[in-house]
Amino acid sequence: MTLSRREWIAMLTAAPLLKAAPETAAPAAPVSIARCASYDEDLVGQLSTMFDQLGGIEKLMRNKTVTVKVNMTGAPSLRYQGRAPAITHYTHPKLLGAAAHLFGKAGAKRIRFVESSWATAGPLEDVMLDSGWNVRSLQSAAAGVEFENTNALGKGKKYSRFKVPGSAYMYPAYDLNHAYEDTDVYVSMAKLKNHATCGITLSCKNVFGTIPASIYGDDAGVNEPNESPTSGRGAVGHEGRRQPSKSAPQELHFGTNHDPGYRVPHIVADLVAARPIHLAIIDGVQTVSGGEGPWIRGSHPVEPHLLIAGLNPVCTDSVAAAAMGYNPRAERGTVPFQTCDNILRLAEAHGVGTTDLKQIDVRGLKIEDALFRFKA
Amino acid sequence: MLLLGLAGLASAAVPQPADWVPARWPWADAQSLELLAGSPVNCLLLAQPAPELAAAAAARGIVTLAVLAPGGGDPVASARAALSAKTTGLVLDGDFPDAVEASVREAAGTAPVVALSARSRMPLGSSAPILGTYQGVWPGISLQDDGKEKAGPTGSTWIDTNTGFVRAARAWGEAEVWIGNRPPAGSVITTTRYLQVIADAAASGARWVVALDSDFAARLHRREADSLASWRRMNEMLRYFESHPEWRHMREYGQLAVVQDPAKGGLLSGGILDMIAVKHTPVRPIPQQRLSAGALAGATMAVNVDPDSLTAQQKAVLRDFTHAGNTVLTGPPGWKDQGPNTGSITLTKAELDRLNEIWRDVNSMIGRRNLGVRLFNVSSMLSNALASPDGKTVVLHLVNYSDFPVENVTVQFSGEFHHATLLTPEAGPKPLEIYAAEDSHGVDIDKIAICATIKLE
Repeated sequence: MTLSRREWIAMLTAAPLLKAAPETAAPAAPVSIARCASYDEDLVGQLSTMFDQLGGIEKLMRNKTVTVKVNMTGAPSLRYQGRAPAITHYTHPKLLGAAAHLFGKAGAKRIRFVESSWATAGPLEDVMLDSGWNVRSLQSAAAGVEFENTNALGKGKKYSRFKVPGSAYMYPAYDLNHAYEDTDVYVSMAKLKNHATCGITLSCKNVFGTIPASIYGDDAGVNEPNESPTSGRGAVGHEGRRQPSKSAPQELHFGTNHDPGYRVPHIVADLVAARPIHLAIIDGVQTVSGGEGPWIRGSHPVEPHLLIAGLNPVCTDSVAAAAMGYNPRAERGTVPFQTCDNILRLAEAHGVGTTDLKQIDVRGLKIEDALFRFKA
Repeated sequence: MLLLGLAGLASAAVPQPADWVPARWPWADAQSLELLAGSPVNCLLLAQPAPELAAAAAARGIVTLAVLAPGGGDPVASARAALSAKTTGLVLDGDFPDAVEASVREAAGTAPVVALSARSRMPLGSSAPILGTYQGVWPGISLQDDGKEKAGPTGSTWIDTNTGFVRAARAWGEAEVWIGNRPPAGSVITTTRYLQVIADAAASGARWVVALDSDFAARLHRREADSLASWRRMNEMLRYFESHPEWRHMREYGQLAVVQDPAKGGLLSGGILDMIAVKHTPVRPIPQQRLSAGALAGATMAVNVDPDSLTAQQKAVLRDFTHAGNTVLTGPPGWKDQGPNTGSITLTKAELDRLNEIWRDVNSMIGRRNLGVRLFNVSSMLSNALASPDGKTVVLHLVNYSDFPVENVTVQFSGEFHHATLLTPEAGPKPLEIYAAEDSHGVDIDKIAICATIKLE
């Protein structure tokens, strides 16, 4: 089932066609949407306007260390007919550069771009270069720009433990690279995409890529992390066929559920609760529909020409989901969560943010003007 | 006037075999030679040699070779008939019995005879100026049945290529290598694919014998505009490589050596040399028969593909190499490096699986090391690094096998070079800024269409 335009507008205006959002204690924060025709536009100007619409970022950034989790899912060699991954399924480096410039201008003293690169613990700069990114340009976007591959210990001496507040869904806590702790501000810079396992992947789902394959990978050590991981996280994260390294907190109900459509959304909801995101930026200028990368059959490049940003990841993703033509409160079994649980509702239940569009102040472009229908 | 014409014919410079730029010429009319105006193609392979065409070609200084194929009647009689039609020489296009080949060569007398044989029958190490084969893979990104790209053992996009074979064959010496495979039947071959095929061979120092699919040939013969444009681009690509004869005398550059009997696995496509090429690591093939301390000079790592086949003396060379602080990786126990047979030039699934064992070790050994050159954002590309005899100049050829230009390629090199220049078929030389990179230096290239060359001095 896909939403008709009437149903979709009804959803936006909270008409009783759909089940009303329950009263929730989850906070709301404003979200900004902007039209952006291409990455050659004035991205600094665009983002600056959006940050102003959110109330400005100076207070957030002044003298702070900022960690930006980007989205570089899959190996950089996997492409849509040879297209650069930045114009399909990776966040675009020009957007990183523009954000870094503005963070620096707002007073950030250090800006660290991070990603757990596919099947390697090598330097993130290598993966960026392999993706066709100009690392030197990124470095010169602001003072104090750094890079770290968080797929293993990286430049840290030990892993940082993030406890899930309240009742965790999957693991009581997660062991992550130090970069997620050694920071004052945490930014999730995602791509506006569908996801084969989770329906959609936005600023919340983006943080699934923070869990290191050294501990949560298929070839993670049984007792201790494997600092040279060469695989993904299917066995631990998606399927629950094995526990993470014993050095990390173990799965709460191991062996009871092997459904990736259940597991991954619950892990993501745990992660966004355990490691709060201060700023969500979603790149929907050029992206893909129907899946998160070229390995998903039927996925294909699209150009929604959108940028979306907000100070709460659940609110931001809810608005983004609506702009994709989806009901952010949709139940499992309905579009786009036909075979999975809804990350946004799980995160909302953790108290991270509201999915209720009524409560979210959308600034800049209206959702109805931003509508770009993704795969039903 | 007749005398002047004859004088002109006599004075037309006939190129030497090493300079022949071959094409299978599908037409018999002399007017077809108009297509060669401005083309570097100077050697026509004629399936049905016509005296008028041969004479007209000779007047233009173009070599004509009559093609003799097995099963085409008495080859000796055919050879005599072709030479009486004033062709310059002959091509044995296929596998003839040794006695028949000898008879043809005897009938040819002083006329040149080029053999395009099975790879396994190529006379490696002989004095033949041209080593040719009719066997080749059709280069390009390998696709699965559903049209998706195949991932190779490295997890990278797998590229079908003849480069490993060419490197192995060229490791024997200065002979020119011709690859005489034809476009796959029943396929639509785009201009881009033709350009890739030319570049695939040329970047490794070989020449693809230009062969047009029948549809393209028919349209070109009618001088249709789009086919003329494609032909022009093919000639630009040929000219690009032919205008740098110095590249043909350069040898593989880099610190990784592969010791292999070229008459065995080296002659295969998809073997260890191609696997390393997909990793974008410069590699120097060393024929096992020519393994010496001198051949290993400058190398820091060596892959000994078939250790059991080495002589005691060869083993001693590798022992000394490791004692000097270098690394040698050997093939798995029981591994026998097998060569191609007449019918197949690629590995079977079982052989590939075994070879993957070597590959995993090689990949692990190389890691992030810069063994001469490291390349980034080149998943749809293959490269070949060559050094001048004095070592002062290195050229790095890059060939893009995708249908889209590749943007933002980064090259990091370990040597001390002060000038870097980008060369492409489309534009003039462009200086590149050299900047300091991790334990090395780097240059960035904005865009590569089909191929590019970075010259480091």
